[in-house]
Amino acid sequence: MGEMLRAAMAIAVKDLAVEWRTKTALVSSLAFAVLVLAVLFFARDPTAVSAVDVAPGALWVTFTFAAMIGLNRAFLMERENRALDGILLAPVPRTALFLGKVAANLAFVAAVEVVSVPLFVLFYDVPLWDRLPALALVIGTATFAFVVVGTLLSSMVVRTRFSEIMLPLLLLPFLVPPVVGAVQVTARILAGRPLSEAAGWLRLLLAFDIVFFAISTLLFTATLDE
Amino acid sequence: MLRAEPVLAARGVSRRYGHRRVLFDVNLEILPGQALLLVGPNGAGKTTLLRVLAGLLRPSGGSVERRGSVSMVAHHSMLYDVLTARENLRFFARLHGVARQRVDELLEQLGLAPRADERVAAFSRGMTQRAAIARALLPDPELLLLDEPLTGLDDASSRVVLDVLAALRDRGRAMAIASHQLAELMGLVTAVGFLKEGRLLAVEPTDGRGTDSIMGRYRSLMAHG
Repeated sequence: MGEMLRAAMAIAVKDLAVEWRTKTALVSSLAFAVLVLAVLFFARDPTAVSAVDVAPGALWVTFTFAAMIGLNRAFLMERENRALDGILLAPVPRTALFLGKVAANLAFVAAVEVVSVPLFVLFYDVPLWDRLPALALVIGTATFAFVVVGTLLSSMVVRTRFSEIMLPLLLLPFLVPPVVGAVQVTARILAGRPLSEAAGWLRLLLAFDIVFFAISTLLFTATLDE
Repeated sequence: MLRAEPVLAARGVSRRYGHRRVLFDVNLEILPGQALLLVGPNGAGKTTLLRVLAGLLRPSGGSVERRGSVSMVAHHSMLYDVLTARENLRFFARLHGVARQRVDELLEQLGLAPRADERVAAFSRGMTQRAAIARALLPDPELLLLDEPLTGLDDASSRVVLDVLAALRDRGRAMAIASHQLAELMGLVTAVGFLKEGRLLAVEPTDGRGTDSIMGRYRSLMAHG
C-alpha cells in the first residue's frame, strides 16, 4: 500500500511539474473561468433576477467546464512519446497511476477554483466569507466526483482520434447528478439557509463520490489494455 | 552441463488486432547473456512481438513467462519533452524504487551528464535515444528489449549505445533487438531470429558467422520459409 501511494505521489508530482512547465491547461482554464463568470454576470438583468439566484449555476458551470480542460490533458501528456509505456513497464500497480492522476487533477482543479471563487464574490457580490466552510465542503465533494469520473474517461478516450471532443461527450451525462446536487446545496448556502436543508443532496454527492471512486478504480486497469 | 534458466519464455504466442492476426504461434526462449536479433521485413510483427514480450500488449493466445525485470527501448522515447533528462530519469527511478545515484551514473555512462539539466525537447535524436536507453537501464533489467535502437543515430552515438549494450551482455544480461541494421549489430548479437508475416521461422546462433552469411540465410528464409 505504501509503495502504491509513493508511486501515485511521484506520478502526481510529475504531472504538476509538466503542467507548471507548459501552463497551457492552467492558463486556458483560468481564462475560461474568468470569461464565463463575466459573461453570465453581464447577461443577467439585475432588475429581473437577483445575483444570488444566478450565482450557484454560474459557479458550477464555470468549475465544470474549466475542469474539463484540465481533465483532457491528464492523459494527453502520456500519449506524447508514449510515456505511458514507461510507466506501465515500472513495477508499480496500475491503480497507482489512477490515484496519481486523480491527485494531480484535484490539485489542478483546486487551483482553478481558488482563483475563481474570489472572482465569483467580486462579480456576484454574494455574502460568502461566513459561509466559506460549508461552500468548501460542497466544492470538495462535487469536485472529487467529477475529477474521479473525468480521470477514468480521460484514460479511455486518450487513444481515440478525437479525444478532446470525446471526453466532454462522455463525461457530461455522468456529471449531471453531482453538478445538480452541488448547485442545489450551493443555492441554499448562498441564501443563508441551514446546511441541514440540503442534507439529501449532500448525501447524494457523498454516495456518488464513494460509488464512482470504487467503480473507477476497478475499471481503470482495463482502460490501459490495447 | 546445466542449462541456464531462460529469463523469458514465450509459448505459442499469438496476437490479433481486431480480425487481423499479426503473430502466429511464436515460441521463444531468451537466456541470460544472450543478445537476440530479430530480423524481418516491415510488418513482420517485430514491434508487436517485443511489446507482447514486454507485457505492454496482452497476447491473444499463448503465454509469456518472465523471470526478473524487463525493460524496453521503443521507437518513442517514453520521456516527457518538457522535463529535463535528469527530471525524467528521477521520475522513472522513483517508480522503479532506484536510488538517485543510479540516475547520475547512467547520465555519465551515456554521455548525457553535461546536458542533463536541459529539457529533452532540446535534444538531438541521438541524445534522446541515449536518454531513452538510460531510462530503460534504470532498474538494471534482466532482459532489455530494443526496437530499432540505432535508427537515426550518427556513428558516435551508435558507438556509445553499442558499447553500453555490449557491457550489459557481458554482465549476463539478456536482450532482444528488432532491427534492420544487421551489419552494425553483428558484433553485439549472439543469435538471430527470423520473422516473416508474424511467424518466427527460426532462431539460430550467430556462431561467428558474418553479415553476408546471415543475410543469405535471411533471404533464403524470406523466399522459401
